[in-house]
Amino acid sequence: MEKETRNQNRRERIRIIPDRKANRTILWRTIILMLLFGAVTFAPLFHRLYTIQIKEHATYQQRAIDQQTMDNAVSANRGRILDANGKVLAMSATVYDVIISPKDFENLQANWDKAFTDNSGRILTEKKNYYPRPEAEDIANELAAILELEPEKVLQRLEKDSYYEIAASRVEDEVADQIRALITDRHLSNSVYLIPTAKRYYPYGSLASQLIGWVNWRNDNKGAYGMEALYEKELAGETGRVVTAKDGKNRELRYSFQDYYDASDGNDLTLTVDTTIQYYSERILEKGIEMFDVQNGGFVIAMDPKTGAIKAWANSPTYNLNDPWDVTDPILSQYLETVQNDPTALEDAYNTALKDMRNRQWRNRAINDTYEPGSTFKSMVLAAALEEGVVNENSTFYCPGFYVVADRTISCSKKAPGHGSQDLAQAVANSCNPAFMMIGQALGAEKFYDYLEDFGFLEATGVDMQGESHINPVSAGLIWRRDKFTSANGITNLATASFGQGLQVTPIQLITAASAVINGGHLMEPYVMQSVTTPDGTVIKQNESTEVRQVVSEETSRRCRAILEGVVDGGTGKRAYVPGYRIGGKTGSSETLESRRGEDRTIVSFLGFAPADDPQIVVLLAFDKPLPATPGNNLTAKGYYISGGNMAAMMAGELLGDILDYMEVEKVYSEEERAKIDMTVPNVVGQTAQIGREAAQNSGFAVRTVGEGETVTAQIPAGGAVIPSGSEIVLYLGQEKPTDLVTVPDLRGQTAAQAQATLAQVGLYLKISGSSSYMSSNAIVAGQDLTIGAEVEQGTVITCSFSDNTMID
Amino acid sequence: MPKLKRDLTMEQQLARGPLDMPFLMLVVLLTVIGVIMVFSASYATALNQGRQATYYFARQAAFAGAGLAAMYVISKINYQHFRWMSVFVLGISIVLLILVFPFGYGKAEVGAQRWIRMPGIGSLQPSEVAKVGVILYFAARLCKRNTEKKKHFDREIPKGKALAFLDQIGFLELVPYILVLGVVVLLVLLEPHMSGTILIIAGAAAVLFAAGIHWGWFVGGGGFIVAALWFIITKTPYMTKRINLWKDPWAYPKDGGYQIIQSLYAIGSGGLFGVGFGQGRQKLGFLPEPENDFVFSVVCEELGLVGAGLILVLFAMLVLRGYWIALHARDRFGSLMVVGIITLLAVQVFLNISVVTNFMPTTGISLPFFSYGGTALMIQLGEMGIVLSVSRQVPAPKQG
Repeated sequence: MEKETRNQNRRERIRIIPDRKANRTILWRTIILMLLFGAVTFAPLFHRLYTIQIKEHATYQQRAIDQQTMDNAVSANRGRILDANGKVLAMSATVYDVIISPKDFENLQANWDKAFTDNSGRILTEKKNYYPRPEAEDIANELAAILELEPEKVLQRLEKDSYYEIAASRVEDEVADQIRALITDRHLSNSVYLIPTAKRYYPYGSLASQLIGWVNWRNDNKGAYGMEALYEKELAGETGRVVTAKDGKNRELRYSFQDYYDASDGNDLTLTVDTTIQYYSERILEKGIEMFDVQNGGFVIAMDPKTGAIKAWANSPTYNLNDPWDVTDPILSQYLETVQNDPTALEDAYNTALKDMRNRQWRNRAINDTYEPGSTFKSMVLAAALEEGVVNENSTFYCPGFYVVADRTISCSKKAPGHGSQDLAQAVANSCNPAFMMIGQALGAEKFYDYLEDFGFLEATGVDMQGESHINPVSAGLIWRRDKFTSANGITNLATASFGQGLQVTPIQLITAASAVINGGHLMEPYVMQSVTTPDGTVIKQNESTEVRQVVSEETSRRCRAILEGVVDGGTGKRAYVPGYRIGGKTGSSETLESRRGEDRTIVSFLGFAPADDPQIVVLLAFDKPLPATPGNNLTAKGYYISGGNMAAMMAGELLGDILDYMEVEKVYSEEERAKIDMTVPNVVGQTAQIGREAAQNSGFAVRTVGEGETVTAQIPAGGAVIPSGSEIVLYLGQEKPTDLVTVPDLRGQTAAQAQATLAQVGLYLKISGSSSYMSSNAIVAGQDLTIGAEVEQGTVITCSFSDNTMID
Repeated sequence: MPKLKRDLTMEQQLARGPLDMPFLMLVVLLTVIGVIMVFSASYATALNQGRQATYYFARQAAFAGAGLAAMYVISKINYQHFRWMSVFVLGISIVLLILVFPFGYGKAEVGAQRWIRMPGIGSLQPSEVAKVGVILYFAARLCKRNTEKKKHFDREIPKGKALAFLDQIGFLELVPYILVLGVVVLLVLLEPHMSGTILIIAGAAAVLFAAGIHWGWFVGGGGFIVAALWFIITKTPYMTKRINLWKDPWAYPKDGGYQIIQSLYAIGSGGLFGVGFGQGRQKLGFLPEPENDFVFSVVCEELGLVGAGLILVLFAMLVLRGYWIALHARDRFGSLMVVGIITLLAVQVFLNISVVTNFMPTTGISLPFFSYGGTALMIQLGEMGIVLSVSRQVPAPKQG
């Protein structure tokens, strides 16, 4: 038995291992494969995993997170911009983007179908919480009605294959409320929703637009221009973030995770600008442009001469800050229309033109652009000459209508026989170029250039405003080099510089220098930012007035003020005269490069300040290119003589009057003035004849009565009319006033006195526009507000504008 | 009345030997982990398609259960029967590979005719069957190569001389294998199915190699394949682009590189410990078909280097244990069959993970036990059943 088993085992062993060689081959080769596929091939895989998961982990994780998260900015509330009195010039509010998710809308409908229909498609209206099916057309119509869009377009969006369609951007709160109501009423939850975003509002629209500037909502609501850009850091605050997980189809995974980083609000910026003065400035600019057919707009700067605080900063053309891309200026938009309607224009001509016009309206020309200041510059020459003692009030100058410098004859604005013999004050009042060439020569080129430097014409003023060039004016070719100016060849340059031609300055440089002339000789650094305050009202920055240097003495400054007051008091600037106020100033009619080429482009300007004995406000006002009636003509189509004294001074007078009234500067009238100022006619109808007569006389009017009654039954003109004091008022006692109409006469070419007489004959009254009591015998009527030949009631007031065509500066 | 052990023949007794427990445990473990990962990877896709979150998971789990049962049943079969069955399996797979052209589908979906619908079990890839068929058939034939009668040729005539030479260098012996493999590979290439071709060749080559075919043929064949690949890569724009894409997927973020970029993001953001099971975000619409070929990226993202490495270790252990079974198999047939099946598995794991980690250019190779696909999982588990069946007959270590 045992033997048998052993035999069997032996047999089996023999059978199991029949071929050692073949088996050994398989053994070894399997071991090779085992090592290869069981170990060797796994090594690079581990290495790859280690590389990707450990070494490059951070990179891949960041990239993965970037695509897996939506990083929504939470805009910080941008700080406000306030004027000097705390009026809000710029503020931010929340508006909403209305988003549609068509895919979610589809799901919404599917869910409704599931909930409110049975298998046969019957609608289960009796079911709890039933509401009508949200049909795409209905929703589109309702949305369109709220958003004021075309229903078809909304429907198109609603039927798109997407999760994100912007139905409307930046809608206001009231609209957003209606959308919210719609979402609740129609159970739209995720398929229509609102995303809050910030919008900047400028409550005064176009007021001080180039100064304030605007934020560009297309560029992250960053300040694009003006103070908005310059003080971006203070205003912007710090943007917060909400990070939300999303899936590969850009859908938010609301419950996955969210991270908040709080936003911190921006600071408020208070400006030195006064909204009222700014408004007056813009109004006068617009008025002048309209009145004088001004082609290139203009600017007004108003400043506190003692501190350098900018009170108003107006440019034309201008634009609405709430829609800065829109071109609204009449001249610019007319040009655009011309381009658009021009059949020969190139395809993108309109877009190029639109871009140009936008840049023009955004341009802050009072600081970006330079011009030849013309006669206004004589204020600085005068101050320098007085300071250096080369002239005094007793110096006399003879003007034959021209002056010869280095064999060149330079003519005066008043051609031969010229101004004749004049003392210093008269020479300034006449704005006599030969006299100033003499003064310049007396001063000498070296001294003259010193004063150019001292008055700040060779440096930036340092005003905190966007766009002031810091390139040296000499290297920019705007002002001569000192060595060239003082050389023998520079003598004609000195001559023209003496009356403000041949050199280019910025308006802000000019008004800053002029302030030094009148404020006691202090060159101030102008500024616009008054203070920066945190949202809770803590002041964190405050601007103090900064004196750059003393240029002339207090005494020189006082003498200059007196002489410059004479310019308004009977000189070329007399149209800036306002009864009751002491105004000083200097007119200017600048030649331009174009005018030297023979084209019609004059920049008429006026530099004015008041009160003359203690200046509280200084203004610089200019109109660029009033259009002559015909090429080369000295008159505009409306009959205004093109000169600073005639145009800019008139506007400046009105502006200064308004500003001084607003600043509550006390009016002091002379006897002569008192007789001519405009007064309001009292309403005395119903009063006794005696009381009526006294009331009218107390207001400075002459009184004529008609009839015999005891009480006043009617009066001409009606109570409330504003007419020059001294005019005659007619009181009717027991009678009705005559109802027959009178014809408006033609007053053109008449002096004020003549016009008043003409009107009195037919029972009409004259009102002089602008500086009300100016009645120079040289000024003649250039325009009247009622059409000649119109039939009007007796007692009607006719407002006339005057032009003194003898005035040349 | 069940037969008692003593009533059985020797053969039958051997076939009732114990299963190799380590191998079985590894298979079960990998299958269970695989099915769970399919759930994590697929629920977002399922929800997006408007299905139940567990749609893919449930199906995969059902197939896994059925597959494990099938594995057990197959392991019960005395593997000696596979010798004769191999011819039928090969025959059926060739028939299926032919039938896939008129009756299959896939042309419209992926541009290749790869699947046949089987009533009841879903769809079947004939190439999956072909892999097993080729390995079984080759193993069955090659295990007897040393007992084959030596051929004699008439060396007097040139033909006989040539044949004798070919026989001497071992070529004549290879002819039937080349023919069978040629037919199968040609049919698979016609679908076309590149990755399937690679795997069939890999499985067949492993069996041929282990069986003792002269190594020179493998050097020559390998050289030929490398040369052919070189030609295809440099001369055809399609492959050139694939290679460029492999070198720098970020250069083609929309155009083919997307998948690999997303896979790298997933793997990379996993880090050492992963973002946590189920917490992966790349599967939420970023990684295309995360439950399929790129399921391992999800594993890496959610379980980190630690989890992914552990799974790789499990695979390595499974492969090593598989070869161990081959080494200890009772006969050469068992050895060769197991070598073929295990090599096929190892190559598939290697290629899949190489692709998802951008170690190699993209080809569509699924990860055994992990990638979603019911019939593929069942066939894989069936193959494991064959290995287990061989393991039953491993002689017990000598006692004392």
